[in-house]
Amino acid sequence: MQGLPRQVSREVTLPQRVRVWDLPTRIFHWALAILAVFSFTTGKIGGAWMEWHLKSGYAILTLLLFRIAWGFAGSTTARFGHFVRGPRVAWTYARALATRTHARAFGHNPLGGWMVVVMIVAFLAQALSGLFADDEISTQGPLAVKVSNATVSRMSAFHSYNEWLLVALVALHMAAIATYTFMLRVPLVGAMVHGWTEVPAACAIRQRRAPAWRALLLLACAAVLVYYVVAVYPRA
Amino acid sequence: MKKIALAVLCAAAVAAPVLAQQMKLEDQIKLRRAAYDMMNLGFGDLGAMAQDKKPFNKEEAEHDADLLVAASTVPRRFFPEGSDKDTKAKPEIWQNRADFDSKMDHMIAEAGKLPAVVRSGDMAAFKKQVGETGQACKACHDKYRAK
Repeated sequence: MQGLPRQVSREVTLPQRVRVWDLPTRIFHWALAILAVFSFTTGKIGGAWMEWHLKSGYAILTLLLFRIAWGFAGSTTARFGHFVRGPRVAWTYARALATRTHARAFGHNPLGGWMVVVMIVAFLAQALSGLFADDEISTQGPLAVKVSNATVSRMSAFHSYNEWLLVALVALHMAAIATYTFMLRVPLVGAMVHGWTEVPAACAIRQRRAPAWRALLLLACAAVLVYYVVAVYPRA
Repeated sequence: MKKIALAVLCAAAVAAPVLAQQMKLEDQIKLRRAAYDMMNLGFGDLGAMAQDKKPFNKEEAEHDADLLVAASTVPRRFFPEGSDKDTKAKPEIWQNRADFDSKMDHMIAEAGKLPAVVRSGDMAAFKKQVGETGQACKACHDKYRAK
């Protein structure tokens, strides 16, 4: 704000309460968080819980497919086109962040945007590899019967290594949130819960809110697709 | 009494390597793998029934359980030192042999309860015991089996 003339500076820094995350994005986020912990735990316990591990994986796959679609058809801040920025922008933001001269972002910041993409890809890879995995005890992914044993073996190994990448990403995600919350005083968690945030008026952009029916339609499409892949196709 | 115990120990110490020498490493690996395949044949089917992927059939389940029990005691005897080459067996097995053996024994014990549970026809008990057995398998896989 230092570069701005004094008269307008007061006006633009006046905080404005705006809705930054739409409901589908928030539900997606918390559902994924809960199911990821559930999947991790049931996978670690094994035994009878494996049945739930698989179901949780199908739900996560559905959520991810929905989120990808929502990245193209959702509200402004949910769209990839809004938050996926070039490497130069991300680098500039990172350097500014280190000196705390970064511009407050509305929605995902240029670094966080890339984190979203990486996490979606990593979680998707986990869910998809699980479909082909076999624990060689009594649990098989629904598509394991459709591919060679060499592929099943590779997928199973990937599924168990990628698990630790996900743990690392979640840890990094939470460390970043802690940094923003406690060091930079930006309450990110609350915004992801109720959707509201306070930003200087100059930072706020006009959100184009996507209708709820569209979210429900996309979620239903994702669910049907996953149901076909895990329950219909393996028996065909 | 002490003398007898000592004699047994000495006999065991001599007998174990002799037993291993009787059979090539390769053949021992082949045998334990065959046993694991049999276990998988029985337990995979029981798992499918327990997870409702396949309707419960008592006759088949009994056969599966008996097969599993018979095969379950075999692998433990065919893990001679150095038999990890070109297998997923981790060398940690021989560094923690006592722990490995106790995990094997636990698996054998859990699998051993399955035939009676299947014959009782109690579905809740059946699902629970399949779960317990699966966890016993997993304990060893997690620690002593490479991905």
